[in-house]
Amino acid sequence: MGVKLKKNDCYSKEEKFFQDKNKIYSAQSVKPIVYSTDIRDFGQVAKSIPCQDACPAKTNIPGYIRAVYEKRYGRAYELNRSANILPGILGRICARPCESACRHGEPDNGQSVGICHLKRSCADLKPVSHRIIEGLYSPTPKKVAVAGSGPAGLAAAHDLAILGHRVVIFERLAKPGGMLMYGIPEFRLPRDLLMLEINNILRLGIQLKTNKTIGVDISLNQLKEEYDALIVATGCVSPRKLDIPGEDLENVHNGLEFMKAVNEGQTPFVGDKVVVIGAGFTAVDCARSAIRSGGGDVSINIRKTVEYMRIDETEKHEAQFEGIKTNSLIQPSRIIGDGNKVAAVEFLRTRMEKIDTPPYRISVPIENSQFLVSADSVIAALGQTPNENMLSKDLSILDGVFTAGDFATGSSDVISAIAGGRKCARAIDEYLIGEKRKQSVVRLENHETTDRQRAYDFIGKVDMNTIDMEERLSDSTREVETGYNEDQTHEEAKRCYLCNLKYEIDPLSCIYCSACIDVAPKDCIKMIENIIVNPDGTYGAYEETRDWNKIVSIAIDNANCIRCGQCLAVCPMDCISVTKTELIEIDT
Amino acid sequence: MPDNDHYVIIGNGPAGNHAAATLREKDKDAKITIISDECTPFYYKHKLTDFIADDIAAEKLMVNFLDSYKVKDIRIRLGQKVEKIDTDSKLLFLRHREKIKYTKLVIASGSRARVLPSMSGYADHLKSITSYTDVMEYKKQIRKAKAFFIFGGDLVGFKFVRMLRSMGKIITILICPNAFWPYDLTDDMLAQITESLLKFNVNIITNDDILTIKSQNGSFQVKTQKGVETNVDMVFSFNGLIPDIEFAKGSGIDIDHGILVNEYLKTNVNSIYACGSCAQIYNRAPKSYTTSIGWPNAVVQGEVAALNLLGDHKVIESVGQKYFDLEGVKIKTTWWEDIDIDKDHNA
Repeated sequence: MGVKLKKNDCYSKEEKFFQDKNKIYSAQSVKPIVYSTDIRDFGQVAKSIPCQDACPAKTNIPGYIRAVYEKRYGRAYELNRSANILPGILGRICARPCESACRHGEPDNGQSVGICHLKRSCADLKPVSHRIIEGLYSPTPKKVAVAGSGPAGLAAAHDLAILGHRVVIFERLAKPGGMLMYGIPEFRLPRDLLMLEINNILRLGIQLKTNKTIGVDISLNQLKEEYDALIVATGCVSPRKLDIPGEDLENVHNGLEFMKAVNEGQTPFVGDKVVVIGAGFTAVDCARSAIRSGGGDVSINIRKTVEYMRIDETEKHEAQFEGIKTNSLIQPSRIIGDGNKVAAVEFLRTRMEKIDTPPYRISVPIENSQFLVSADSVIAALGQTPNENMLSKDLSILDGVFTAGDFATGSSDVISAIAGGRKCARAIDEYLIGEKRKQSVVRLENHETTDRQRAYDFIGKVDMNTIDMEERLSDSTREVETGYNEDQTHEEAKRCYLCNLKYEIDPLSCIYCSACIDVAPKDCIKMIENIIVNPDGTYGAYEETRDWNKIVSIAIDNANCIRCGQCLAVCPMDCISVTKTELIEIDT
Repeated sequence: MPDNDHYVIIGNGPAGNHAAATLREKDKDAKITIISDECTPFYYKHKLTDFIADDIAAEKLMVNFLDSYKVKDIRIRLGQKVEKIDTDSKLLFLRHREKIKYTKLVIASGSRARVLPSMSGYADHLKSITSYTDVMEYKKQIRKAKAFFIFGGDLVGFKFVRMLRSMGKIITILICPNAFWPYDLTDDMLAQITESLLKFNVNIITNDDILTIKSQNGSFQVKTQKGVETNVDMVFSFNGLIPDIEFAKGSGIDIDHGILVNEYLKTNVNSIYACGSCAQIYNRAPKSYTTSIGWPNAVVQGEVAALNLLGDHKVIESVGQKYFDLEGVKIKTTWWEDIDIDKDHNA
C-alpha cells in the first residue's frame, strides 16, 4: 500500500527507545530527531545519496557541502574528519568515487559537483584557530601494535586511540605516511599539510616508531608479550613486473621505487625520451615527475583507451597540459638495450574485446603489429601487490592479528584504505572489549526546505586554479593546484542538490491534484500501484499507473528528485515534508 | 523492418548527409533525422576562407539548402546539440533538455578545432575557422583588424595566412611543430615551410612557444617564452582538428581519440555506427585504429556506414588524397596505410 516511511509501527522496540530517548526540543520549535535502524532508512540513504554511498568511508558529503555553503568551514572540516581523518589530504588526492556517482553528473543534469575541491576548501578556509573535535573514551589497559603508518594504519591507530587503547605504530621507513609520503609527489600533496594532519592523529597519544620493521627490529615474541593485538597495514609495496625481455636493463625503473626516490629528494636518471607504462595515478605521477626531472618527450603508454585510465579528468588534463602524450591501445612486448642501457621499447598494438565477466572490456594484443619507440628510460607503473612475507607462519600463530588497508584488499586508493583501517579498529575493539561499542544509525530530522534556488542547477562546474608551466618547472615541489578562493567555493557549493534531504508526500493528506507533478522538472513524482522493497532496504521500481482505480499512493522517487523544492511550494495541502537524513555512528 | 524505425544521424557534414541519403534511398519509409549543432544546412567547410575574403558568396558555400532535406523526407534539426547518449534505452539527450529515441544511430559528428592543453587558459582569446558560425562571428572583425597573431599552422591556417596577406593584413605566425597533429614537423620541414611563407612577407617565429596572451581594450598583447612581444587585433589558433565526440563519453561506446569502429564502421554497441573524421577505424594493413580526414573519405564512409547499418557487410577503404601539400612539404593526412610512432625504429 502506502510508501510512507515513518509510521510508528515500522520501528522495532529498540528503535522506539531511540525515538523516545533522543527527542530534542528547542525553545522556539519542537524538532523531533529520530535515530533509526530500520533497514529501509539505510536503503533510502544508500540509494538517494549516491555520493555518500560511493565513498568507502561514507563521508557525509551533502552535509559538509551545505556547511561550506553556509561558510561554516570548521564545521565542514569536522564533518569530513568524522568519516575520514585526513580531509586536507583527501581534498587533494582522493580518487573521487563520489564524483562519479554524483547525481549532478547524470544524463540531463550537467556535470558532477566538484566534491573533492570543496573538501579541500574545508581545510583551506577553516579558521586558523579551528578546534579539532574528538569524542574520547576512557582509557583501557589494552595495547595495540600497528605495522605501517600509511592511511590504513593511521586511521586504525586514530580510532583505537579514541576508544581508549594504547597504540604504537611501527614504520619501516624514516617518515610516516606510507604511500602518501613516498608514493605521491609533493607538487600534488604538500608535505607540511601531510605532517599537520598526521600530527593531528599522533597527538592523541599514539607512539610512532620510525625505521622499525616488525620481525627485524622487534621480535615476534616481544610483540606477543607486550601487545594485545597487532594490525598489519603495510600496504602494497611489491611492484608488478612487466614480465618482458629487457626489464632488467639499466634505466628501467619501477614506478613505486621511482616515486620513492623522487620524494626522498633524489634525481633518478630519466633522459630525454621517457616511456611510462601504466594507466593509474602512479603512472601519471611518474610522468609528471619525469617532466620535472628534465624529460623532454614523456609519454604514458596504455593497453586500453584513455577512457579506461584509472585517473580522474583533472589528472588527465594536467598531464596533457604539461606536454605528456598518451599512447593508447598498445602494450610493451620487449625492451631493447644498447649495451646495458635502454634504447627502445617494442610495443604491440591492441584492440578492445568484450568478455562476460568483469571488467567486461579487455585489451587483446594484435599479432604481428609490433613497432619500436626509442627511449632513454622506462618507468613501469603497473601497480603493486602486498608483501606476503609479512604474514609469515610465525606471525599468524599470534593471537589478535588483524589486517587492514591495501595489505588486506590489494592495491586500492587512499579513501578505501582509511575506511578499511577504521573498520579494522572496530573489529579489534570488539575483540579486546568483548562487545560492540558503536553502531550505525540513520539520523532523521524534520527540516525546513532549503534556500536552494532552481537557478543553481544551471551553474557550471568551477575549474580548479593552478599555477602556470613556468612556475611548475622552476620549483618541482611547488603545489600545482592552488585551491578555490572563497567566492569560487561558495559558487561550487551551490551546485549540490543536497540529496540528504528526503522529500515525502503524505498520501493520506494528499488530494491528488497533480500540482506537484506539473511543476516537477524531473520525472520524480509518481502515481503508483505498488513498490518493491529490496532485501537491502532500497526501493525497487516504482510501479506507476494512470488508472485511478489502481492508484494506491503518490510518491516522490528520491533517486530522481533534484530537491528543487518546487513541489513543496505549490502543494495546496501542505502534505509534503522534508527530512534531513544522516548516516551516523552512536554508542550502543 | 519494424514500422517505427528511427534512424538518427548526429552530424550534418559530408559523412552525415551521405549516410542519410543512402538510408533514404534504401529505406523509403523509415523516419530519418539529422541533428546538427550548427544552424546552417550542409556547406563546404574548405571554402570558408574564400568566403571571408569575399571571393565567393554565401550561397556558393551551401551544398544543400533546407528544401533538399524536405524532398528526401529527412528531418533536419539545426542548432541542437547532443550532450549524452544512453545506449541502453537508446536515447539521445539534447542540450535543450529534449530526449530523442532512436532505433539505429550513425555518429558523424566530425571534428573541432584543437586547442593545445597548454593554451586552455587562453581559450577565450583564441579564434579558429572551423564553422560557418565562427566565420559569421569574425568576418567583419577580420576585415576591420590590421594585425594578426597566428599560433600553430595547419592546412587551414596557412590558407588563412595567404588569404589575410591578400587582404593586406600584418601577420605574425608562431609555427608550432605539433600543429599538424598527430605528426610533429621535423626541423627540415619547418625550414622548408618558413622559406615558403617568407615569400608572403609575414613575421615568422619558430622554436618558441606562447607565454601569455593578455586582452587589452579589444586588442591582445602576445608574449612568447623567448621574449618576443607583439600587439595584435586578433589571435588565431590553427593546431589541427580533433574528433568532436565529448557527448559519447561514458555511454559504453569504445572511444580512443575518436569513436572506435571496426572495418565495417560498427561500434562495439549494437545499432550504432560511426563515420567521417570522428571515427577511428580499425584498419587491417597497419593493424591499428586510424582516423581519416578529407571530404572524399567522409562521403564514402557515410555511405558504407548506412549500408552496413541496413545489413550489408562492406569493408571501408581509404579514398581521395592521402597526402597534402603543406607549403611545399608533403604531409600524410590520414595515418591510414602505416603508422610510425618512431620512424627511426620502425620494426
